[in-house]
Amino acid sequence: MASSPLPPTRSITASPKSALLVENDESLSNCFRRHLERDGYVVRTALNTQEGLRLFCDFKPFNVVLIDYYAPRSNGDKIDCLAPQVHGVQLAMAVRNLAPLQGIIIAALDFQGEADVPRPRELMQVSLLTETGNGQLRGLLEKMEVDRAIKALTPPELLKLQKFAERLVRGLGRRARGADWEDLLREAFLRTWIGAESRQNGRHWNKKVDFVRHLTWAMRSICDSWKRQRSNERETYLISELSTLDAEGRERTPLDYIASRRAPADQQLIDREEEDQVLALFNDDLEAKQVLRGLIDGLTNSQIKEKYRFDEKRYVAITRRIRKLLGNRAQA
Amino acid sequence: MTDKNNNDHLARITNELADSVLMLPDEAILEEISEAGADPYEEAEYTRSVLRDAFQLLENVARRLLSLGHNVNPKYWQPRRGGYHNDCLECGSSVSFTTATGEMSGEALHGRCPARDHVIRRQASRK
Repeated sequence: MASSPLPPTRSITASPKSALLVENDESLSNCFRRHLERDGYVVRTALNTQEGLRLFCDFKPFNVVLIDYYAPRSNGDKIDCLAPQVHGVQLAMAVRNLAPLQGIIIAALDFQGEADVPRPRELMQVSLLTETGNGQLRGLLEKMEVDRAIKALTPPELLKLQKFAERLVRGLGRRARGADWEDLLREAFLRTWIGAESRQNGRHWNKKVDFVRHLTWAMRSICDSWKRQRSNERETYLISELSTLDAEGRERTPLDYIASRRAPADQQLIDREEEDQVLALFNDDLEAKQVLRGLIDGLTNSQIKEKYRFDEKRYVAITRRIRKLLGNRAQA
Repeated sequence: MTDKNNNDHLARITNELADSVLMLPDEAILEEISEAGADPYEEAEYTRSVLRDAFQLLENVARRLLSLGHNVNPKYWQPRRGGYHNDCLECGSSVSFTTATGEMSGEALHGRCPARDHVIRRQASRK
């Protein structure tokens, strides 16, 4: 194996998660701590920004640093909401300067929306928490985990995602409508990102599932929905545009014909022809032909392995040969 | 063999081939890319950049809306024809972006959120 220029990464699901919480209000601190611990974080708590900075320097990096916008500088400090320098913001700036990639959330519970929260330009991209409920915090934490998972993907994992997406898009044929593997992968990511806050509109990542596996499921489901949508879409025509004369010279419109539930005979022929063409490519490779025949006959991969007595290693090698030949042909 | 099966055969082959990529040992996928004449590490980083671009895309949309004072709930991005759509919670104006190009459109981008500006003016007049 060639030496990797990238540092080795551990599986995201196996990594322990840590959080630094800087909050002086006891009830809020308990509330945040409970939410974080429920999501599997080991939490260190500071009551003021000085202590927060010390803990950060001693134990950095954390998976997330959650800072109250109005956290006091030290114990006993009165909170002055009108002060031009807010200590929570100052701590966030210090953390950002010490570790630019550190995930930070600022709890700005006294504000109605993100646009209302005054902060320096450098902190414009920092996540803001404006609700005490668990939903928003969980969404923000999930997004950080997704971001972290992307950073942790190893080169082989990334290449597998790419090749997987290429295969699925190729399988869509014309229904891909110009979409390529990048579009599919991007879409899977966006669904995951939105799924961090809404399971209805996005695709929630269950952390018990490996991130690569999650993305492959998302891509498959997107392809299925593209197939369904694009098979159901019909173009609109005027009846007069579609009128034809039958053998006896009578004008007929499509409404004169009842749609058959069966696939059209010509389509069946085309499908069979395509199958024959694919199989013909492997005339010199009996094993590859057996695997393809098995797939065409509706067998699962374990049934194929059992039927032709292929062990796992052999099966992988055969599918690799198939991919290679079909890939070369597609490129040609 | 049913008609449905007949139509699904090629899709099944494609799916199986896609799955077989996931079963490959790490060394084998790196080797496969090298054999095709590409640098596997460059290819891998390109794939990561595709994911990062998607992340950046959402961030850009959010920042643009924020700079105009609009307030959209990230929960309500609805997938729609090659892109996503949402509405400002304050003024109701719509915004959408396309996944492939990142192009943003919608009335929310035409100007500042009128509802929020109204609130700001009212707060200023009270002071």
